[in-house]
Amino acid sequence: MKTRTKLLGAVVLLSAGLPVAGTADTSDKRIALSNNYAGNSWRQAMLQSWDKVTKQAVADGVVAAADAFTTAENQATEQAAQIQNMILEGYDAIVLNAASPTALNGAVKEACDAGIVVVSFDGIVTEPCAYRIAVDFKEMGRMQVEYLAGRLPEGGNLLEIRGLAGVFVDDEISAGIHAGVEQFPQFKIVGSVHGDWAQDVAQKAVAGILPSLPDIVGVVTQGGDGYGAAQAIAAAGREMPIIIMGNRQDELKWWKEARDANGYETVSVSIAPGVSTLAFWVAQQVLDGQKVPQDLTVPFLQINQADLDAALATTPEGGVANVEYTLEDAKKVIAGAM
Amino acid sequence: MTLLSKPWIWAYLAAALTFVPTAMLSQGVGGAWELVLAALTFAAFSVLVGLGQMLVITMGPGNIDLSIPATMTLAGTLSLKYMDGAAGTGAAGLAVALAVGLACGAGNYLLIRLLRIPPIIATLAASFLYQSLAIWSNRGLRIKPPAWLADFATGAALGVPNVAVVAGLLAVLFWVLLERSVYGRWLSAIGQNQRAARLAGVPVDLVRMATYLISAVMAALCGFLLSCFSGGAALNMGAEYLLISIAVVVIGGSSIAGGNSNVPGIWGASLFLFLIVSMLNSYGLGAGVRLIMTGVIIIAIVAVASGSRRAS
Repeated sequence: MKTRTKLLGAVVLLSAGLPVAGTADTSDKRIALSNNYAGNSWRQAMLQSWDKVTKQAVADGVVAAADAFTTAENQATEQAAQIQNMILEGYDAIVLNAASPTALNGAVKEACDAGIVVVSFDGIVTEPCAYRIAVDFKEMGRMQVEYLAGRLPEGGNLLEIRGLAGVFVDDEISAGIHAGVEQFPQFKIVGSVHGDWAQDVAQKAVAGILPSLPDIVGVVTQGGDGYGAAQAIAAAGREMPIIIMGNRQDELKWWKEARDANGYETVSVSIAPGVSTLAFWVAQQVLDGQKVPQDLTVPFLQINQADLDAALATTPEGGVANVEYTLEDAKKVIAGAM
Repeated sequence: MTLLSKPWIWAYLAAALTFVPTAMLSQGVGGAWELVLAALTFAAFSVLVGLGQMLVITMGPGNIDLSIPATMTLAGTLSLKYMDGAAGTGAAGLAVALAVGLACGAGNYLLIRLLRIPPIIATLAASFLYQSLAIWSNRGLRIKPPAWLADFATGAALGVPNVAVVAGLLAVLFWVLLERSVYGRWLSAIGQNQRAARLAGVPVDLVRMATYLISAVMAALCGFLLSCFSGGAALNMGAEYLLISIAVVVIGGSSIAGGNSNVPGIWGASLFLFLIVSMLNSYGLGAGVRLIMTGVIIIAIVAVASGSRRAS
């Protein structure tokens, strides 16, 4: 018995020392997802993508566990406590969608000091020891105005729908939009409302500001607000401007119906909720001992007029257009940032 | 001077005061009318939740319903999932929403009564349960309402938005309930002094149960109409209605200490809350300034209204 154990141990030692393809080395590693909010369709899709991809990875023996945890109150203090629990539970890596870019830095530093790999995505943290998978939100705002400039060379008045006031993402996209307006000065933002990335809130806010607005040629948005804006503008009996959509299924469906009815053209842009799976693979790569830069950028998901039918066909009814990432995608993103 | 002594008049004055400068910016007569229609439409949703919250707050200190957003979300989600956009399911869908409201209200009351948890904790804890059920039942997918329900919720009869008509009729019903029914008398009696009311033979437990049920049913109705209005139920659709439901009660001139409620003020305050955001948006003020000014103005109105109440 004893010799057998010894033998087995020797085999394990040997195989661990062998320079295999670099996939088996993480099979005993446990990864946790620390998520601050689950109360909208984007976050639900994000969690479902995580579940789908990591279940397969666990079944394939790539990692030992990939558990998802969501805080109830979307509070940084609560999430900091959650991270501390994960440290105590001995996870090897924490994938993090943070409630605040700075308030979690203390907890993140504790995790790093305990030898835990921290990969933040979407809601990133500024703590230098963590990895960041950021979206170029500024570019997401700027390209909307660029698209409008291509469609309407003579320019005109724009309505801006912002997200949730006080959130980093909202400031970034809005800064990008304003940079775009500086680049294409034929456009002028004549009104700005907060739609909180929710169709009903956007609908209410747009209905309230519309009576005081001159004619508008375009609506620049942040996602999850385009359908609500279209409803409010239709209710006011105004001519439909070009509304930039945000990849939600109801937005794409409305766009398709308008296209079929009168040739309506626009563009749709947002981040794929599946970015959580990219973060998972990046964490796996770091655990695997690969060299990974601290700052990575994930491309946003853009749907053009020509892609509309295909995108609509693959988006679940009432959900959001999505992409799930593979290990190869992660390797490409990492190589691109080197 | 009798009109000025009404506690609800301040909400209407405030609404008028915010309407005029916003309408001045609007493009012609059509624009001002457009603003009136938008205000009536969106105020209607605040009125629905506000009426229910008003009854709860009338029962005196400690009584509040924090489960309104979650109840709205759960009712909207389950009813739209049940209807699944099919024609001829409207009445059944409404029944599902109202049944969800009854169940949520019963859940709240059971926690308060059987476990003797203070309402503020009980309704907050219950709301986590309702919200989780909504997430679990449909994973945040937005199912479209049946076409005719969507048309009804966004449509208008004789120029007045349908949802405003519904909220108007219900406000009248609540006024009758409060001012002309024995339930209303009981409710005020409990709010003024629960112990005295109990000794006087008021069925306090029955009235409390009925009140939490009514509040939840109103939230469910609001969730149902809002989902039909905005093209589907979203998981975060009720979020802003928690603060609104309490604010319209307070601004509307009801006593936050209970025992004294005010139906007309709910409408005035709901119109005001929509118009002030529209006004500050129309004048292009940033979110920070907007939130500060909203807070300052609400405090000012409550101070003025309660000052005038004391004077009278």
